[in-house]
Amino acid sequence: MSETALKPAATTVAPPSTGGKRLRRSAYARRRGRSGLAFVTPFMIVFTLFMVVPLIYAIYQSLYTTKLIGGTTFSGFANYSTVLKSGPFWGGVIRVVIFGGIQIPVMLAIAFFFATTFDLGVAKFGRFFRAIYFVPFAVPLVVSSLMWGFLFDPGYGPFNRLMNAIGFHNFNWLSNNWMVPSIIIIAIWEWTGYNCIILYTALKSVPRDIVEAAILDDTPLWRIILRIKLPMVRPAIIMLVFINTIGAMQLFIEPTILNNYQAGVVTNTYTPVIDIYSTAISNGEYQLGAAMAVVLAVVIIAISVTSLAFRNRRRDFA
Amino acid sequence: MSEIALTESRKDRRRRERLEERDAAIPVELYGLKRGTVTLLTTCCVLFAVFTLIPIVWIVINSTKTQANIFQSFGFWFARPFEFFHTFANLFRDVDGDGTYSHWFYNTVVYSVVAGVGATVLAALGGYGFARFEFRGSRLFFGFIIAGLLVPITLVAVPLYLVYAKVHLINSIWGMIMPSMVTPVGLYLMRTYVELSIPRELLDAARIDGASEVRIFFRVALPLMVPGLMTVLLLSIAGTWNNYILPLIIFSTNNLFPTTVGMGLWLQHAGNSGDTNLFPLLVMGGLMTIIPMVALFALLQRYWRGGLLLGSVAN
Amino acid sequence: MAAISLRGLTKVFATGTEAVSDLSLDVEDGEFVVLVGPSGCGKTTALRMVAGLETITSGTVSFGDRVVNDVSPRHRDVAMVFQNYALYPHLSVYQNIAFALENKKVEKAERHRRVVATAAVVGLSELLARRPRNLSGGQRQRVAMARALVRSPAVFLMDEPLSNLDAKLRVAMRGEVLAVHRSAGAATLYVTHDQNEAMTMGDRVAVLRDGVLQQYATPRELYDQPANLFVATFMGSPEMNLYEAALDSAGDVVLGTQRLPLPGAVLRGRPALAPYQGRKVIVGIRPEDLDVSTDGALGAQARLVEVLGSEQYVYFSIDATPAAAAAGADGDGLLATGTPNGVARIDPRTQVRAGERVTFGVDPVRLHFFDPDSGAAIA
Repeated sequence: MSETALKPAATTVAPPSTGGKRLRRSAYARRRGRSGLAFVTPFMIVFTLFMVVPLIYAIYQSLYTTKLIGGTTFSGFANYSTVLKSGPFWGGVIRVVIFGGIQIPVMLAIAFFFATTFDLGVAKFGRFFRAIYFVPFAVPLVVSSLMWGFLFDPGYGPFNRLMNAIGFHNFNWLSNNWMVPSIIIIAIWEWTGYNCIILYTALKSVPRDIVEAAILDDTPLWRIILRIKLPMVRPAIIMLVFINTIGAMQLFIEPTILNNYQAGVVTNTYTPVIDIYSTAISNGEYQLGAAMAVVLAVVIIAISVTSLAFRNRRRDFA
Repeated sequence: MSEIALTESRKDRRRRERLEERDAAIPVELYGLKRGTVTLLTTCCVLFAVFTLIPIVWIVINSTKTQANIFQSFGFWFARPFEFFHTFANLFRDVDGDGTYSHWFYNTVVYSVVAGVGATVLAALGGYGFARFEFRGSRLFFGFIIAGLLVPITLVAVPLYLVYAKVHLINSIWGMIMPSMVTPVGLYLMRTYVELSIPRELLDAARIDGASEVRIFFRVALPLMVPGLMTVLLLSIAGTWNNYILPLIIFSTNNLFPTTVGMGLWLQHAGNSGDTNLFPLLVMGGLMTIIPMVALFALLQRYWRGGLLLGSVAN
Repeated sequence: MAAISLRGLTKVFATGTEAVSDLSLDVEDGEFVVLVGPSGCGKTTALRMVAGLETITSGTVSFGDRVVNDVSPRHRDVAMVFQNYALYPHLSVYQNIAFALENKKVEKAERHRRVVATAAVVGLSELLARRPRNLSGGQRQRVAMARALVRSPAVFLMDEPLSNLDAKLRVAMRGEVLAVHRSAGAATLYVTHDQNEAMTMGDRVAVLRDGVLQQYATPRELYDQPANLFVATFMGSPEMNLYEAALDSAGDVVLGTQRLPLPGAVLRGRPALAPYQGRKVIVGIRPEDLDVSTDGALGAQARLVEVLGSEQYVYFSIDATPAAAAAGADGDGLLATGTPNGVARIDPRTQVRAGERVTFGVDPVRLHFFDPDSGAAIA
């Protein structure tokens, strides 16, 4: 049995080394490499045509401006300057950052709580609960916003009646102050199940004998969870933070749909993507919209990368 | 001579799996939980389950109500008249000129299935190629694709619209389907799956036996990749089924809308003009959109449970 | 009062498999007892029941005079070394060893002292800051042992700790495991499938097969006086030669077409043989009890000679029916016709060539006899 039993499995195969002395690959290996290329090509073609090309086109377009008079001219960074100076745009960015900053940790905490509960085997009908929790993942965001819109509806929604019954009259779930928290509730509803299942699967892959060793050492439960299980599912948590952050920053559907239940709260710069949509499509200023989208992409990358680095460093000290 | 069962009946297999699963897990008692904690935890699970089911229960119940009742009666119980079948029938009519739900539903099915299958094929081929072959730039290409995850949807959808305008692909089915076949997540999942479940030695043995790469892929690799394929298929179908932004941007003909965009449109009109009887349709339409996906996930449970594990394997 | 007492220990799994049946044995304080047997024989399950990681279907486990069936594994004061080491991958060696002490709320200074001392005992002093993934197999194994050792438990359990190491390392580590055991001074229960480890390491060895205890004795007793065919073939390498034979009325052993005379003194010394006169028996001869001699009683055809330098193995056939199948040891015996049905370990300087006829002499005192139906030894 290998002595390297605990080493992580090799992931990508390194391409042949270049530099200095070139490794001569045999003709056979080269032919094999070409087959590999052939397998990969269909995906690469579609990927290039339908993701890379639009992307480049967008960046290209963002450097131009079309005016009614004067036609399309190269404007360099003028569009970017407009975006960077646009208060409402950055207001939207801050809004989604706050939204994500609250929603993601809360949702992950809840998901981890339940994943742990299932992993411990405490709840008797774990499978049944897990199946229920996963249902929202099968619901399109449009439909879930629709349903919650009805529930939150300021005039007739059941939740409103509930608030009235408790004594909070005139409570509007979709008012200016409460729109974002309500969307947070919706997002938690939509995504907790999926995150929970991923964390649960990760927890289950913690080797059993490590937990048994901890039990023999008389480790209290909280310590087993926090100092053994949690650190061992770190890769899954990091991936989830990453995915969730990218999703949160692109908030679009929920506010757009909820707008129909409560006019006036969701402006057309409410979130960056709404801003981009209304600029590019509704107003037809697609070049400015493209610039906005690029700026947003940069912001997303910046936030994702820093959140990863932050998590890494924190955990190393644990 | 009694008959020897050659394969386990499904019931027996399920029972055995459940027992093995129970044996494989650490018994709860060893954790040293107090009775009170256990009840508390179970209660929390129940509460969250209720929370999860609230909107679902609501939509099921209210799909049976008239518009007036949706707003006036108690949200979580039925009210006469029972309009379920009437409303359901209306889904097949063009109620206020925006289009017919049933037609949108058909569109959704077409887009999702075609894009789902296409995405799975591409991801399978690509994942296999990246996982088990060395070629110049493989790492670079793969990194590039994964970076695609970081790109906001609008940065792709909006320019796509512009590009389509130039090549007359606006309001084309393929304009919707092709972009939906690009799944960096699917590729990542397939590559991880191939790495975990197809040993190199197996492929080398087949090569030594003189099989061509194509043959190896179809006869040796593909059968081993099935669970991963099902996961990617499921996720791609669901992703396309639920997509809103892309079709919103590239379609201007109501006929081509999927249900998501169609219902968005209805909602706008209903909100604006206090139109008659769109709300029951919205509720019913929402319900009809949910059911196929939930059913699909439930049916293919065996596959994606394992597939999601790959999502949590070390990056 | 024995440190560990098992009485009638039985385990039946939910799927119906009976992994351990009615196991009873004692381990004295400070004793090193080995549980050995082929895979699936229940030895690990028994160990886990002692640890408390497996529920007990019936029977008792006692530490001293305390029955611990219902005591949680946390409170049994038991330390275990796992087959895959079960090290906490995200903690350093130091932290791994210190972990249990932190649970017991030992003070930092005291904790540090004990961790350093234990690390020194197993030779890990230089590696305290490393993570498990940066250690070799042997080093990880030592961390696992240190982690158990630092707790000064009353009972030490080891589940095949050397199985994942390569052969050479395994042999080297045997001494280290025993050193750790002596330094701990606790009763130790050690599980392995390797009969070599059992013979060289155990004070006493319990041989298990399909959940049933075959024999519990010192290594020497197991080797010289195996209780049944299974123990006889399981212990010792190469395996004991077994043949179907018969005892005639004169007390001679009839082995195929040959006769091995048993002197009267031998027969008198083994009264249990008397009832078998005139009946079939299974006779066993250890390879080292055969030597080439011109006036030997056993004629054979040498088939294959292996010269190892320090000894020689001669694979031979005699025209007697081998009884290897009856022993049921999951051996990979060579049973096809024309192939050898016995092996002798002879002096390396004797010249034997494959294909030759040889005569072996065998000391009748060293013959083993077994009942052909039950497989039990005939004392």
